[in-house]
Parts: sequence; C-alpha cells; structure tokens
Amino acid sequence: MALPLTYNFRNVVVRWRATLATVLGIALVVAVFVLVQSLAVGLEQSASNTGDPRNVMIVRKGSTAESSSQVSLEQFRTLHYWPQIARDEKGNPIISADVVTLISQPRIDGQGEANVSVRGVTPMGMMLRPQVKLVAGRWFTPGKREVAVSLRLAKRFAGFKIGDRFKTAGNWMTVVGEFDGSNSAFDSEVWMDADEARAVFDRQSYSSVLVRAASPQAAQEISTRLDADKRLPLRADSEVKYYADQTDTAKPIKFLGDFLATAMSIGAVFAAMNTMYASVGSRTREIGTLRVLGFRRRTILAGFILEGAILAAIGGMLGCLLALPLHGYSTGTMSFNTFSETVFQFRITPWLATKGILFAVVVGVAGSLLPAIRAARLPVISALKSV
Amino acid sequence: MTVSTFIIKNALRNKRRALLSVSSVAASLFLLVMLQVALRELTQPPESSGAELRVAVRNKISLTNPLPARQRPIIEKIPGVVGVTPFTWFGGKYKGEQGMSFAQFAIDPKALGTVFTDAKMDAAGYKNFLEQKDSCVIGRLTAEKYGLKPGDRFVLDSTVYPGSLSFRIAGIYSGTPDDRNMLFRQDYLDDSLGTPGQVGMWWLKVKSAADMPRVTAAVNKAFENTAAEVRAESERAFQLGFISMLGNIKTLVASISTVVVFTLVLVSASTMSMAIRERFRELAILKALGFRRRELFAFILAESFGLAAAGAAIGIGSAYCLFNFGDISKMTNGIFLTFEVTPRIVGLSALVAALLGIISAIAPAISVARMSVVNGLKTLD
Repeated sequence: MALPLTYNFRNVVVRWRATLATVLGIALVVAVFVLVQSLAVGLEQSASNTGDPRNVMIVRKGSTAESSSQVSLEQFRTLHYWPQIARDEKGNPIISADVVTLISQPRIDGQGEANVSVRGVTPMGMMLRPQVKLVAGRWFTPGKREVAVSLRLAKRFAGFKIGDRFKTAGNWMTVVGEFDGSNSAFDSEVWMDADEARAVFDRQSYSSVLVRAASPQAAQEISTRLDADKRLPLRADSEVKYYADQTDTAKPIKFLGDFLATAMSIGAVFAAMNTMYASVGSRTREIGTLRVLGFRRRTILAGFILEGAILAAIGGMLGCLLALPLHGYSTGTMSFNTFSETVFQFRITPWLATKGILFAVVVGVAGSLLPAIRAARLPVISALKSV
Repeated sequence: MTVSTFIIKNALRNKRRALLSVSSVAASLFLLVMLQVALRELTQPPESSGAELRVAVRNKISLTNPLPARQRPIIEKIPGVVGVTPFTWFGGKYKGEQGMSFAQFAIDPKALGTVFTDAKMDAAGYKNFLEQKDSCVIGRLTAEKYGLKPGDRFVLDSTVYPGSLSFRIAGIYSGTPDDRNMLFRQDYLDDSLGTPGQVGMWWLKVKSAADMPRVTAAVNKAFENTAAEVRAESERAFQLGFISMLGNIKTLVASISTVVVFTLVLVSASTMSMAIRERFRELAILKALGFRRRELFAFILAESFGLAAAGAAIGIGSAYCLFNFGDISKMTNGIFLTFEVTPRIVGLSALVAALLGIISAIAPAISVARMSVVNGLKTLD
C-alpha cells in the first residue's frame, strides 16, 4: 500500500517555513547550472544557426579559421568555371570570394581591446547570406572606406555606431549601416566591400570562397573533386556544417557549468539532509501512527524520498524561473575557433530546463535518502511514545 | 560548567546536524576560494622573471596580422634594445590530435640567451639549437606529456601555413611560468615557405626597466604611417590585453561567486534557526533563571560563529592545501597554471564566513529576545 501522494505534497506545503531555505538553496544551484549551460547552448546555437544548406564553403586545407585560410586569385578563377556551381538568371556562377581579417578594437566600456572579425564581402556574397539583414543606415559603397557593423557588435565596441569613424591599417573607416545576423555567427562580424578590404589590409589572396551548389549531389562533387585535385590545396564543406563544427569555445563553458553544479550540489545535499532530518525528527509520532495504521517500512521510506524529490523539484522549477529573465540576453567572449569576439545569447531551452529540474530531483533524493532510512527504521512503540 | 563548555555542548548536542552544517559551509567556502583563485588567475596571469624588461610588438591592426621582416634592423638600432627576436605563431597540431595542445613559435635561436632568459636549458641543447636549422626546444611539461627527449623527431601540421614541418628536439627548457611551449627557428619556417619576409610579432629585451617607456614609444614611432604600424607594449600590458579579449567571463565568474555566497548564507541561516527553534524551551528556562537577552544572544552568536568558523577552517584549509601543494596544471590539463591561494583570498573568504556566523544568529536571536518566558516554557519541540 503506497502513501497517498497528497500526504507528502501537503507536508512540503505545511512545513514551508523550514523547507523554504532548502528550496531556495536548490533553486540557486539550479539557476547557476542552467545559466552557465545556457551560455554553451547559446554559443552552439549561434554556430549551428549559421549558413544556407545550399551553400558550400571552400577554405585552405588544414586551416581552422577563415581568417587563417588563403585562397589565391588563381585558385578562385579555376573554381569559377566548375559546372557544379549554380548560375543566376544572367548565367553568372553564384560564387563569392571573401576576405576575412581580424582588427583590434577598444571595448565600449573601456575594458581594453578585443579582436573583431572583418569580412570583405561581394554583392554575390551578400546574396548568398540571406540571414544578414540591414536594420539601420545603408550598406557600404564599393570604392569607399565604409563598413556596416552587426547590431550586437555595435553595442560592445567603441566607434561602431552609425556615423562613427575608426582607424585601422592606417585608414579611417566610416560606419554607415547596422545589420542583424539573425542570431548567427555573422552577428560577430563587421562587413565591408571585398576589394576595399583587400586594398586596406594589403591582401594578395582571398580567405574563403562561398558558392551555391547546383544540387546536393553537386555539393558532394565539389568536395570530392577538391580532395582529389592535388593542385588545389583546398577543402569544401557545407556552409552549415562548417560553422556548426566551430564549437570549441562551448566546451570549457560546459565543463564550468557541470563542475559548478556538482560542487554547489554537495553543499545543497547537506542542506537538504539537514531539513529532512529535522522533518523526520519532528514527525516521529506521526510516523509511528502511520506504522500502526499498517503502512510498511518501505512505504515510509519511499514517502520520505518522494517528499525530498518534490521539495527539490519545486526548487528546480524556481531556479529555472530565476534564470529565465536572462534568456536572450546578449553577451560575448573570445571564440577559440576564430580568435575574435563572438557574440551570443543566453539560451534556456525546454530541454535545458528539464535537465535543471532533473538535476534538482537527484539532489533532493540524495539528500533525503539517509533521513528516509532513519524514518523507516523508527521502532513503532517508542516512536508513538515520543513527545 | 563554564559558559564555553555550555556553548560547545549545545553546538554538538545534535552531532549529525552540526556535522552537516559544518560540511555545507565547508563545501561552499571551498568553492568560493576556488572561484576567487580562478578569477585572479584569469585576470592576473603569473608573471615570468624578466618580464619587466621584455617588450611585445604586434601589428597595430591586430595580433593576427603579420609584420614585415625588414622592421628588424630598425628596431635593433633603437638605443636601449639589447635583443630582438621574431615570434611567429605556427598553430601546429601534434600527430593527428584534434586540437592544439601546446603552442609553437618560430624565433631567432639566439633569443633564448638574449630575450627569453627565463627559459633555462643545458648548454649542449642550446648549442644544438643554434647549429641545426630544423631543431627545436620544447617545454618540460610537453616533453613529459608525450614522453619526448632530445634527439627525437616529430611532425606538426600547421593550421596557419600550408603543409607540415618536421622537427628534431635539441633540448628541453624549464623555469618559465608555463613550460609547455615549443620554440623553433624562424629561418627554418622561412625556408619552408619560400621566405615570404613576414613574421608574427617581435619580442625585445631592453637594457633596464627605466628604458622601457622610451623604447616602446620609439618602436611605435618608428613605424608610424608605414604600411605596417605596430603596437609595442610591455609583456605585462600585452598579457592583460589578452585577458580583455575574454570579455564577459570575468563578470560571469564574479556573479557566480556572489550567488554561492548568497546560497551559503541562506542555507546556514536556516540551519541555525532550526537548531535554536528546537530548544526554545531551554532558552525560556535560562531566561526564567535570570539570564539576560544579551547573554542569550551571546550564546547563540557564539554557537553559530563557531559552526561557521569550523566550516571555514575545513573549506578554506583544504582548498589552500590542495591548490598550493597539489600540481594544479596537471589536474586541469594546463588550463590553470599556478592557482595560488593568496592571503587576500583567504582573508576575504574568512570574512564571508564570519559574516555568515553573525547573520545566521540574527533571526533566531530576535525570536528568542521576543519570546515571553511563559510561552517559551509551553513550547513543545
């Protein structure tokens, strides 16, 4: 015979004063866990949210970032005529060579400088990246030292507001527009005209080539053909996959989240134990009565464990609620893949929230196990006699 | 029975609870110390010897933009400069490993004697490095990790330059804060690339600390309005610049520490009031016997303070022993190097523990002060 669920649930509610601190403690632990993990989720999402499935990205073999990849003008010209590349209505191949470089810029809060990715992009390259939309001002004019800046970067760096000028490589650049990269990796970029970028940064070669494949098979063919061609030291990957693989930065953050959660939960388990022991202690007579009524030891055991789990689940839910206001909040750090500032958002997904609550329940069960065993072992007669 | 034995007896009357309270305080304080140490290490990296005499020169655009090799003679002529070396990031991966596990830089081999004087190695190894073009020196930790010894050869696949390079180990150095890097010869790299005339950075050594500001200014001035403007700064400033790239990580760790402290206060305060509530009747008897509120408050405070202090001693003490006597760079796989628990961090954590003891005593003390003797005596457990 099982104890009715309402018994345990009402116990948690009736003794709210004693349990409040424990519930809040668990809530804070879960909030920290969820927040730190939501950073990792945000980083991964912005990486996996980047690119168009029809596009193929071509970079130098062995390079790990666009900024350290080189594609020579000649290699670019060779690629131009490949039949696997889709053509627009005028019959021109849909292919774009970009120049990606890093510039060091002062942060808006005066806290030093950080590297920012600058992408020199062609009109075709902009068409290939429909995720990027202009939200204020205008796009740069080819032939002028003008740039458009991601909305999210503009909030983090000095001199990135429309109308501002900043100096790099001996040139004054004017910010003429702000764009939104729809939570993709492009949110961490400054865009300018490709030829201007090559002139300003004195680049003989391009960094990467982006093409629209004529068909999914054609995309595969580009990749195999490049692997086979020893004269072209290049490698092709689906654009989506290329960015989705760039998640090195998320790993240490995940580790931090797991570690903190484990360390804090040790403290939380002790606290939960304290509360549950006190709860068992003050209910000695009640437990005796239950036993007399015919409830078995294991029922009592299960009942108290359940009570701890309910208590912790409430804490877990509260923790998720505490973390929720930060959902969508933009933050940034240095990406280990691009070696430049990457902007991303706290992302609290339903799965992450579930994980947080499950984690809380584990803490609750661990904390109530010993007190529950004690409750189950109470000798009936002396339990009834106790005051 | 003296007052102090009374307090100690009270604190330990429920041994299990006392133990749990002390453990939860200890666990939280351990974490707090650890977060503070991590934050300190992130924001103030360990300083190597001779750092006050070293200058880092990078391209003004950013660290990743190269510098022309022709800048070297101009820098060498600047008065106060005693040594110059190129310093080029190779970004090599060791034997098909997924990521990079140690950094590699191309330098002028003579720099080990002129610029990076904190890297100590035997004379034979240094001589080899000077004589053989394809030789390299590696840090002690990397050598231990891969079981490499002088004379061994290995290949690195560069993520920055096309192709891979093969190296012969000339010697193993130690004595820097992070003995993990691999240093090889810039002329070897140049040969493999067809001498592009570019280097990653310049590192210089100045004659005395007093020369530092003048030399950095002179280097910056020398290349002003050229195609490759530079930023010269002290090694320390360069390191701190690196840290500012980490962005909001600092805020993150700081706010987590705050949450930890808050959780700690919450949980211990509740345990304390639980302990006091349990003996309301006793306290009422004490009151009836003529003890004053002040004295009762002192009893409670002493007990809660004692529990917090015990927790602090265990938590801070174990963190201190583990971090200061354990090999932290091995434990964290090189993410953290020294992980030093400074007196300041110990003091701050002890302060948190002390405040915790006081705050936890306040709520129970107030309810004891308010209670009337009659009601208190009536209370059942």
